[in-house]
Amino acid sequence: MSRRLSELRPVYVVGIGWHRYQNPSETSYVTLGLTAIRAALADAKLEWPLVESSYIGTGLLGMAAGRAMLKHLGASGRPLVHIENASASGSAAFRHACIEVAAGISDVALAIGCDKRNPVVRGFTRTGIGTLADDAIVPFTHFALLTNEYAARYRVTPADIARVAVKNHGNGAKNPHAQRQQARTLEEVLAGKPISGTLTSLQCCPVGEGAAAVIVAAEDAIKRYNLDASRAIRVASSAAASERPGAASDADASLTRETIQTALRDAQIAATDLDVLEMHDAFTIEELLYTEAAGLCADGTAVHALKDGEFDIGGRCAVSPSGGLIAMGHPIGPTGIGQIGELTLQLRREAGLRQQPNARTGLAHMVGLGSVCYAHVLQRD
Amino acid sequence: MSDASLPLLKPALYARGDDGKPVLLGGRCECGHVFFPMQTFGCERCGKFGPALQPFSLRGSGQLRSAATVHVHADPSRSAPFVIGTIALDDGPVIRTLLISAVPDHEAPGTRVEAVLSPVEIANGHALDLRFRTVRS
Repeated sequence: MSRRLSELRPVYVVGIGWHRYQNPSETSYVTLGLTAIRAALADAKLEWPLVESSYIGTGLLGMAAGRAMLKHLGASGRPLVHIENASASGSAAFRHACIEVAAGISDVALAIGCDKRNPVVRGFTRTGIGTLADDAIVPFTHFALLTNEYAARYRVTPADIARVAVKNHGNGAKNPHAQRQQARTLEEVLAGKPISGTLTSLQCCPVGEGAAAVIVAAEDAIKRYNLDASRAIRVASSAAASERPGAASDADASLTRETIQTALRDAQIAATDLDVLEMHDAFTIEELLYTEAAGLCADGTAVHALKDGEFDIGGRCAVSPSGGLIAMGHPIGPTGIGQIGELTLQLRREAGLRQQPNARTGLAHMVGLGSVCYAHVLQRD
Repeated sequence: MSDASLPLLKPALYARGDDGKPVLLGGRCECGHVFFPMQTFGCERCGKFGPALQPFSLRGSGQLRSAATVHVHADPSRSAPFVIGTIALDDGPVIRTLLISAVPDHEAPGTRVEAVLSPVEIANGHALDLRFRTVRS
């Protein structure tokens, strides 16, 4: 019979680390990745040879990038695997690292997300099935269409929607790992370069480069290696799903609804129990659609909740306190793992200026092209 | 040369219908699922494949769910601005493609649209490509 992650042995996040997300540079991906991994090892107070398995989330580096990076940590001979799942590559790597530890195959595993902005061919363009004009419809236009559909349905304005960016740039300004660290006014967001529909540049995530690493461990390993159990954060559930055919414009929101519901159910909590939510806000409209889909507020009311400060740090549920994809950045492979790092900081109460008071339960959500969706619940015991 | 004699840019995706109006070359599965474009890899709903999937011409009429003017586009062969619409075809599938009518964002939902064959420049001359335009009431 199939089992959920929450029915296997408990898994804890014991170490987190980043290389700052940044604009494309000459820095080698090896430097990006090693910086994040060494930070995570130092955070966990763990030596590299004790890491039994590595999952490398990357969408853009190309074949077999991983060992060329990991070998500089010293010979360990341990297995590694690359995981590509579009924007959700890092979330997928984290999920499978958790599954390996929960299943008892390893006691300690690493999930490392690392990417640089490289041109890659998107596999789904090679199916042989023609398209009318898909070359003209890049992700920002997909979301510009959803923005206009939402605005018309709920009678909200472009300025209402742009408030998501104001909140997230404000959060990013307090995050040393964020690509964009500058608070923005609503006027600045609206006056930005028009991209598609009513979306302006500051409402679209930057795709740059960076790395994020998370080390997960079983209780056995926490005891055996004398790790700090008070800083270990439990992975309460992991859910993943993929799109089914149906109403094309609602696909990502309905997939999100389903996946987050599964993750909440498996963790035996309700959406109202969430203190922190790290969300796939590649474009402003997504945060509105997904906070509603997550059950944080009723359909069509996210703008009101946002204006009332419910999603601010210090509000009912801090949404994307890291700055989200809009300000933290979206270097692809690292993104989903960086979310887990942010939740861990928040639940350890180590998030400094970005700290959501008394944070106990958090959820990380990612959508990847396809579409695929991931949700992980983390909980402070 | 009149437009009518120009070749179709993507003849696997659309054709001139009997009444001269363009049709979209979709498919229908034994299970009833209607899709665009035609393919025989397998039904996205039930998984049946091969002869279970048969060609099914879709009328080029539908309703806009949304429209957006694209201001920035990396590929110089398609110069911005242009308008993209999400169209619920009367025959079922929801598609996204280029509109040749300017549609104010807030007025788009519910607007009736129809497919037309529109001349476009290709490497060695012109061809007709499918576009949608608003239907004047």
